[in-house]
Amino acid sequence: MARFVFKRIAFMLITFWVVISVAFFLLRLAPGGPFDGDRRMPPEVEENLLKAYNLDDPLPIQYGRYVWNLVRFDLGPSLKHHDFTVNELIAAGLPVSLSVGALALVIALVLGIPIGCAAAFRHNSWLDNCLSSTTTFGLALPPIVTGPLFVLLFAVTLRWLPAGGMDAATSLILPSIALAIPHAAATAKLMRGSCIDTLRQNHVLTARSKGLNSLRLAIHHVLPSAMIPVLSFLGPAAATVIAGSLVIEEVFSLPGLGRYFVQGALNRDYTLVMGGVVVYAALILMLNFVVDTLYFRFDPRIRSQSQAQAT
Amino acid sequence: MIHSNRFQTICQWFTAALFSLPLVGGLAAEEKSSLRIGSPGDPQTLDPHRYTLNVEEHILKDMFLGLTTMDAKGAIVPGSAESWDVSSDGLVWTFLLRDNAWSDGTPVTAEDFVYSFRRLVDPETAAPLAFFLYGIENAREINGGELESSELGVFAQDSKTLEIRLERPFPYFTERLFYPTGYPVPKHVIEKHGSDWIKPENWVSNGPYSLTDWKPQQAVELQRNPHFYEHGNVKIESVKYVPVADALAGYHRYLAEELDIVGDFPAGEIESLRESHPDQLQLSPLLSTMYLVFNVTRAPFDDVRVRRALGLAIDRDKLTRKVLRSEEIANASMVPPMVPGYKPSITTNSPDLALARSLLAQAGFTEEEPLKVTLRYFTGAESKQVHVAIAAMWQEIGVQTSLHNTELKVHFSDLHSGDFEVAQAGWFGENNPEHYIELLWSQIGSNNYGRYQSAEFDGLLEQAKNTVGQKEREKLLQQAESVALNEFPVIPLYSVTVRNLVNPRVGGWYTNPRNSHGVRYMTLK
Repeated sequence: MARFVFKRIAFMLITFWVVISVAFFLLRLAPGGPFDGDRRMPPEVEENLLKAYNLDDPLPIQYGRYVWNLVRFDLGPSLKHHDFTVNELIAAGLPVSLSVGALALVIALVLGIPIGCAAAFRHNSWLDNCLSSTTTFGLALPPIVTGPLFVLLFAVTLRWLPAGGMDAATSLILPSIALAIPHAAATAKLMRGSCIDTLRQNHVLTARSKGLNSLRLAIHHVLPSAMIPVLSFLGPAAATVIAGSLVIEEVFSLPGLGRYFVQGALNRDYTLVMGGVVVYAALILMLNFVVDTLYFRFDPRIRSQSQAQAT
Repeated sequence: MIHSNRFQTICQWFTAALFSLPLVGGLAAEEKSSLRIGSPGDPQTLDPHRYTLNVEEHILKDMFLGLTTMDAKGAIVPGSAESWDVSSDGLVWTFLLRDNAWSDGTPVTAEDFVYSFRRLVDPETAAPLAFFLYGIENAREINGGELESSELGVFAQDSKTLEIRLERPFPYFTERLFYPTGYPVPKHVIEKHGSDWIKPENWVSNGPYSLTDWKPQQAVELQRNPHFYEHGNVKIESVKYVPVADALAGYHRYLAEELDIVGDFPAGEIESLRESHPDQLQLSPLLSTMYLVFNVTRAPFDDVRVRRALGLAIDRDKLTRKVLRSEEIANASMVPPMVPGYKPSITTNSPDLALARSLLAQAGFTEEEPLKVTLRYFTGAESKQVHVAIAAMWQEIGVQTSLHNTELKVHFSDLHSGDFEVAQAGWFGENNPEHYIELLWSQIGSNNYGRYQSAEFDGLLEQAKNTVGQKEREKLLQQAESVALNEFPVIPLYSVTVRNLVNPRVGGWYTNPRNSHGVRYMTLK
C-alpha cells in the first residue's frame, strides 16, 4: 500500500509540474498582452506597467520566479485586479466553486444511485423504460441550457429563488441542480448497468431464492458490488463538475473561481489564469489520487495485481 | 411497515425543505432601501489612478469629485473647483476650490490635488491612463522617468487655489479633468496605509459616497458621505454595484427585481421590451464612432479608388435600421453627430453602386478577376451580423469578402501590428471632435491602425492643436477631416446606442450621450 501511495504521489507531482509549465508558456504564446487593448498606450506607460509586474524580465527568469513563488504558495499579484493578490482572489472564489461542485455531486449521487437501482430491479419493465429515457434526456441537458431555463422559471416567473449572485445560501440551489442533472443521469446509467450485472451473480440469485425482500437484497448484496464502478466514476465526475462550474458561474453570476478563470483568460491576466490552473490541476490530481487509493483498498483484483508486480 | 414509515418521514422532510425555499430565498428587506446597479463586470481597481475601464469609472464617479464633474444629464459642471480662469494664451488654468472635506472630515486642499496629479504621472504608480493628462507641463517626461514629479506643471497657490500649466492650448481640458485620472486621492491616508488605503476599512474619498465593502465578483457597496459639501441633496442612502459579466444573466436579475438598473442586456430583447416594459427601456446614442479601417500600406488598399469604391457600396442607413435595429445613428463622419458645435464636411449616407463599380474597374478589377477582401471583426454581440451585411453589400459591386473573426485582444493586437487588410474599429469617449479626428494623425502611433499619412491633414491638425479659440480650432479640424475622408482611409459607419433598463422606483435618471449617471442626482420611490 505504501509503495502504491508513494508511486502515485510522485506521478502526481510530475504531472502537476508539467501542467504548470505548459500552461505558463502557452499563455505567453497567446496573441495580445494584459495591457493591450483598442488603444495602444504610450511606450513609457507600457514600460512602467511591465516593470511594476516584473514582466520586463526574460521569460525563463519570469518562469523561475513563478515556480519559486509557487513553492512558497505565493501566486503573485493579479495583473488586472490591481487591488488583490491571486491568493486573495482564489480564497474568495474557491469556496463558492467547491460548494456548487460538492452540492452538485451530492445531488447527482442522491438522484442517480436510486434511479439506477430502481431501473435495474425492474429491468425491461415500463418503469425501466421510463427511467432510462429520462436519464438519456438528462445526459443531453448541459448546464448552459438548463441554467437560463431554471432562472426564467424559478427566479423570474415564480420568484422562489435568486436569479444570480451569492446573496444567500439559496443562491446555490439552482446552479447546483443545473450542474448535477447530466451527472445524475450518467450515475443512474452506470448504476443500472452495474446492478443488472450484479443481480445475475450467484450469491444474489441464492439470496433472492431464499426469499429476501428487494430492499434488503439491494442494500446488503447488490449495492456493495455495484458501487465499485460508480466509485471509479467519482474522480472524473468530480473533475467534470469542477470544470463545468466555469459555465454555471457565468450563467448565475456566481463569484466563483471559474469566472476569474474565464475573465482572466480573456484579459490575459497571466497570474490569475495560472492561479486557476494551479488550483484546478491540484484538485483534479488529488481527487484522482483519492479514488485510485480507495479503489486499491476496496478492489482486491487491483491489490493482487500490484502485489504481483512488486514480487 | 417500518420501511414505509421511514419513507413517509423522508417525504415529509423533503416536502418541508422544498416549501421552505421561497421563505429563505429572495432579497433581504434592507436591500430594498438601497439602489442596486448591475455593473458590466467586476472593477479591476478602485484606485482612480490605476483604473482603465468604464466599469470603474461609473463606480468611482460616485466616490470622488474631480475639479469638474457631470450633472444629471451629462453636462460638464464645476466639481471640487467652484470656478476657474484661463490665461489668454490658453496655457495657464487657475482653479478656485470650494469648501469640501474628505469622508473622514479632513478638508480637501489644493495640496491634495498637487499630490494626486504628481502621483498619477509618477512612474512608480504605473498608471495605465497617465497619458490622459499628458497635456500638463512635463507630465510625459516625468512619466518616462526623465524628470522628477515635483517638476509637474501643477501648483498650489494657496490652500484653495490650484494652478495648472499646459504644454499647449487645450480648450477641452475641463472635460479631460472629470475622468478618474483627475480625481484627488487622500494623501494623509495613502501615507499612513500605503497600498492598503484602498481597503474598505481604510477608505477615504471626497465624493458623495464612500466605500463600505468590496467583495470581488459579488458587490461594491457605498454609503452616503456625511462630509460631502452637498450631503443634504444626496437622497439615496446606500448603493450596491453588482457585477454581471454575462448580459443575459444581468437581464434575468433585473426581471427578477434583484437589480434596479442594468445596462448591456441582449439586443434581441429590445423588441419584446418595447411591448412589455416601454417605461423602463432606455435607449440613447453614445459618444462613439464605429468604422472600418483600411491598411493603406497594403495593396490594393493603397489605391484610393479601391477604398472609395468599398466606401461607396455601404448603405449605412440599412445597417442601422435593418441590421442593428437598436436606434444606432448612421454617420459618415469620424465625429459622432451628438458632439455639439461641430459640423462635419461629409454628411451623405447614400451609397453609389454605379460609381463604386466604375472605380473598381478603373483600378483593374473585373468580374473574372474580382477584388478579394479579408474583413476582420472582433467577437461581440452584433459584430457578426453587421460585417456579414457589409460583405453582402460589397458583393453587389462584385467584391468577394472573407470574414475573419477573432476575440478583442487578438483583433487589436493585429491592428496595432498592421496585420490586416480591412478591419472593424471603434472609438468611444469624449465630447469633442479632436478626440476622433486625431486617430488619422501620423504622430499618434499605431492607434492610427491603417497607417494613413497625409502632409496636408497633419499640417491642419497641428495648426488646430495650437489654436486657442475653440471655434477656430474646430474649423481647422473640420478641414482636416475633409482632407482625410476624401481619401477614404476609414469608412465611418455609425454611433452605437447604449441600452439600459431602469426600474420605475428610480427617479432622476436621464439618458445622456456619455451614459454617465451619478447616483447623487437620483432618488428612490
